[in-house]
Amino acid sequence: MPVVLIYRKQKLEVEGTLTVREALQKLGLSPESHLIVRNGELLNENDILRNGEEVKVISAISGGAR
Amino acid sequence: MRQHRLALCKDHYPQWFIEQTQRFIEKYRMFTHQDRILVAVSGGKDSLALWDVLWQLGYEAEGLYINLGIGGEFAYSDESQQAAQKFADQRRLKLHIYHVEERRGESVPAIALRTHRGRQKPCAVCGLIKRHTMNQMARQLGFSVLATAHNLDDEVSFLFGNLLSWNLRQIPRQSPVLEAEEGFVRKVKPFIRFSERETAAYSIVRGIEYIEEECPFAEGSKQLQYKDLLNRLEEQQPGVKLRFLLGFFNAMEQGFIHPIEDEQGEVILNPCPSCGQPTSTGDLCATCRLFEEN
Repeated sequence: MPVVLIYRKQKLEVEGTLTVREALQKLGLSPESHLIVRNGELLNENDILRNGEEVKVISAISGGAR
Repeated sequence: MRQHRLALCKDHYPQWFIEQTQRFIEKYRMFTHQDRILVAVSGGKDSLALWDVLWQLGYEAEGLYINLGIGGEFAYSDESQQAAQKFADQRRLKLHIYHVEERRGESVPAIALRTHRGRQKPCAVCGLIKRHTMNQMARQLGFSVLATAHNLDDEVSFLFGNLLSWNLRQIPRQSPVLEAEEGFVRKVKPFIRFSERETAAYSIVRGIEYIEEECPFAEGSKQLQYKDLLNRLEEQQPGVKLRFLLGFFNAMEQGFIHPIEDEQGEVILNPCPSCGQPTSTGDLCATCRLFEEN
């Protein structure tokens, strides 16, 4: 069972064990633009993700009219 | 936070964030505890975080939510209004609501569809109506300051976009504070030095229930492309966004970048005959013209 990352209602998968920063980079998501939350707890970019767990990816970037 | 060479735990991060906001408020002389502040809130992470911080710092801050009438699969405007209202109710704060369709008879997407300005994308119409309404409401309700939650990424992507198109009229107007002028309330941006990632982290750690969904019209916008590009650069060069913005402010302060003098001299502002807000047109202001245009 890989690490499951919920991003914009989609389930993405990466093979653990790896850091938050590595997981985002593997998915082509900038760690500067995204955060990862596990059970409501914000993870930092060096936290470890392990196979079998499910986390949520939050896009920190928003756009629109000024 | 690589750009600050700083790592904080979830207990100390909000404290650091609040202290930094107060430092920026003082540094740029934005306002004092004697001011009445209207915070423009969208229901998103940045604006609710700003209201939360100002509330915690003991400022007299009320909120303004502008319901733009944006719907779609997810009732974007109504859901955002609910998030803003819930936030206000939880803290017993006052939220003012301006409903564009109820006040003006049409939603922002409907106005955009029938006007030249909004034909390609409603964002230009939306921005114009929001800026107009924020100023109007702040003045009508007697606030001395209007605070928006524009952050580092907003400001850097705006500056970058203006430089790409050499928008020399717009560039010198970008500032942490826009002083009050005849008919215009003082506008401030207390989050101007925080990245969007930092404001999102604050909202998550504080448990603020904000709207995560993006405005349906923002998808594919140039601003989002610039933000993504600049964050890719930030990954390689931590602190590059902040240096870019602070370097620009520094150049402005030292007089290397000047506002362009109008060929006809000073711009004369007259009140719009419909809404009373200042305009240089000599007739209806740009916002009121939208409602006259057919």
